[in-house]
Amino acid sequence: MTEAILEVRGLTKKYGKKTTVKGIDFDVQKGEVFGILGPNGAGKTTTLEMIEALRPIDGGTATLDGIDVSQNPHHIKEIIGVQLQSTNFFNQLTLVELLTMFGGMYHRTVHPYKLLEMVNLKDKAKSTVDTLSGGQRQRFSVASALVNKPKVLFLDEPTTGLDPQARRNLWELVQTIQKTGITIVLTTHYMEEAQLLCDRVAIMDNGKIIALDTPNNLIKALLKKGFKKKAEVQQADLEDVFIDLTGKDLRE
Amino acid sequence: MKDLKAVWIMTKLFTLRFFRDKIALFFTLVFPLIFLVIFGFIFGGNDSPSFKVALINKSDTEFSKTFIEETKKGEVFKFTETDFDSAKEKLGRGEFDAILELPESFGILNENQHPSGKLITYYDPGDEQLSASFNAVLQGVLDRINAEFVRVEKPLTQESKPIQTANLTRFDYTLAGLLGFSILGLGIFSMSEGFTVDKKTGALRRMRVAPIRAWQLIMATALNRIFVGMISVAFLFIAALLIFDFNMRGDYFNFTLFTIIGTVCIFGFGMAIAGWAKDANQAAPLTQILTLPMMFLSGIFFPTFLMPGWLQNITQFVPLTPIVDGLRMILTEGKTLLDLGPQLAVIGVWTLVIYFIAFRVFRWE
Repeated sequence: MTEAILEVRGLTKKYGKKTTVKGIDFDVQKGEVFGILGPNGAGKTTTLEMIEALRPIDGGTATLDGIDVSQNPHHIKEIIGVQLQSTNFFNQLTLVELLTMFGGMYHRTVHPYKLLEMVNLKDKAKSTVDTLSGGQRQRFSVASALVNKPKVLFLDEPTTGLDPQARRNLWELVQTIQKTGITIVLTTHYMEEAQLLCDRVAIMDNGKIIALDTPNNLIKALLKKGFKKKAEVQQADLEDVFIDLTGKDLRE
Repeated sequence: MKDLKAVWIMTKLFTLRFFRDKIALFFTLVFPLIFLVIFGFIFGGNDSPSFKVALINKSDTEFSKTFIEETKKGEVFKFTETDFDSAKEKLGRGEFDAILELPESFGILNENQHPSGKLITYYDPGDEQLSASFNAVLQGVLDRINAEFVRVEKPLTQESKPIQTANLTRFDYTLAGLLGFSILGLGIFSMSEGFTVDKKTGALRRMRVAPIRAWQLIMATALNRIFVGMISVAFLFIAALLIFDFNMRGDYFNFTLFTIIGTVCIFGFGMAIAGWAKDANQAAPLTQILTLPMMFLSGIFFPTFLMPGWLQNITQFVPLTPIVDGLRMILTEGKTLLDLGPQLAVIGVWTLVIYFIAFRVFRWE
């Protein structure tokens, strides 16, 4: 993990007088899962959308696989996969048809059933998106972002609003995708999720990156400062109880 | 080339999507058809006169019965048997055109064994013209009956033959306007509706993630609409042929080609609105501003030749006018595209202008 596939330098976004992303720098290594954490309004989504060539970059550069995003946005779109935070699809088309259409936009012949199998939606192939549950919809959204065999996959809050089972299911999917060699950049505000999935995380607040390291190093650094949890840490929490009682199997 | 292939795949799926959308189907295929049938019956009825007549029959002769029966068959007179007072009241209100009284003696055989008698008609003096034509028609009926009984030599006669220049019925004339109306609906109304919804749900935003450009989306949507438009026009046309016995004088190649040209032009307006508007609230007023003048000034509903001269000068540049005029010239006069230079010129200029604007103002979200 030494080769950077994404280099971000001084990336800035302004809306009028307000600067929402304030000149941030980071690298993403090939093959890693990179997490951007932060509270709502920290600038996570704006950062992603600039790198995805969906929003103009007001300052600094983003270089993905050696290609400058603002110089060549069209080329960037061809080699990345994007799952938007809130996304929707045409309701009248089936999952297979939608995947075929997205494939067509990338000049690629897709194998819709293989993709649907990967995200565990093969039996929904002939359904329309409005019949899917939240978790299924999110997994389909991931499948649609994979039609072009992207070099980097961007996932913007992929598990927000999902129940614990669906969330665990999506984590497994992220890990499966990482094994195929695709680099993943995701945003989340679930720390547990970041700790489990991400090789490295950047913590954003107020448009700035205030920390960037592996989850373990960040924890160690905090403990070094003499941090102690207020209460005795229990070996299980309520979510563990919930999963133990209801099982890990998906309900959909 | 690759980009065009993507357009083609999108076009196919947009069309598939369209045919699964029941509401869109209703408004593009069924609604214009209902419109056609209603307008067809309003404007397309034949023009032979008919009279609503209050009948007061005081005679019970055999002849008077036969007279009423036979006269009814002609369908020129619609008899309602009633009494004099209520007939008079209804005549005043215009519910009857005239009152026809058969006196007691009507139909009694005279010395030559011919039925004889005198009909009395009452009319509203405020409507001299109506009563004159009513009397003329009634006299014609009596003349025919008289001729049956008394053979009279008629050395001088007249015969009247209708010559309509192209034998156009009013429906033939109306159809072009109805087709124009359907193109307007498909190109602007359904367009501004559909696109703003896709913007609102984020479906367009999701497409934007892929490396497609605005022109590809616009082209795929345009092709889809042209295809649907052709089906809609074909529906209307078949209905016109079957229900209203439409008399097609032009050739189908020119008709099809011109319809496509017209649809492309009008679609540009829908695209400009839908591409610019962020939501339906922005699209609606703009749609009204653009379509109302087109509806009322293009000769769909009101013939342009009835308008004052200065207005006619303007109407010929309203984008829908040359489309409706051209369709009419092809359908009813058998003209070809080669004869439609002025119309094609106006359509061409509008098409260039509106697509230039549509590409400029397009927004994905």
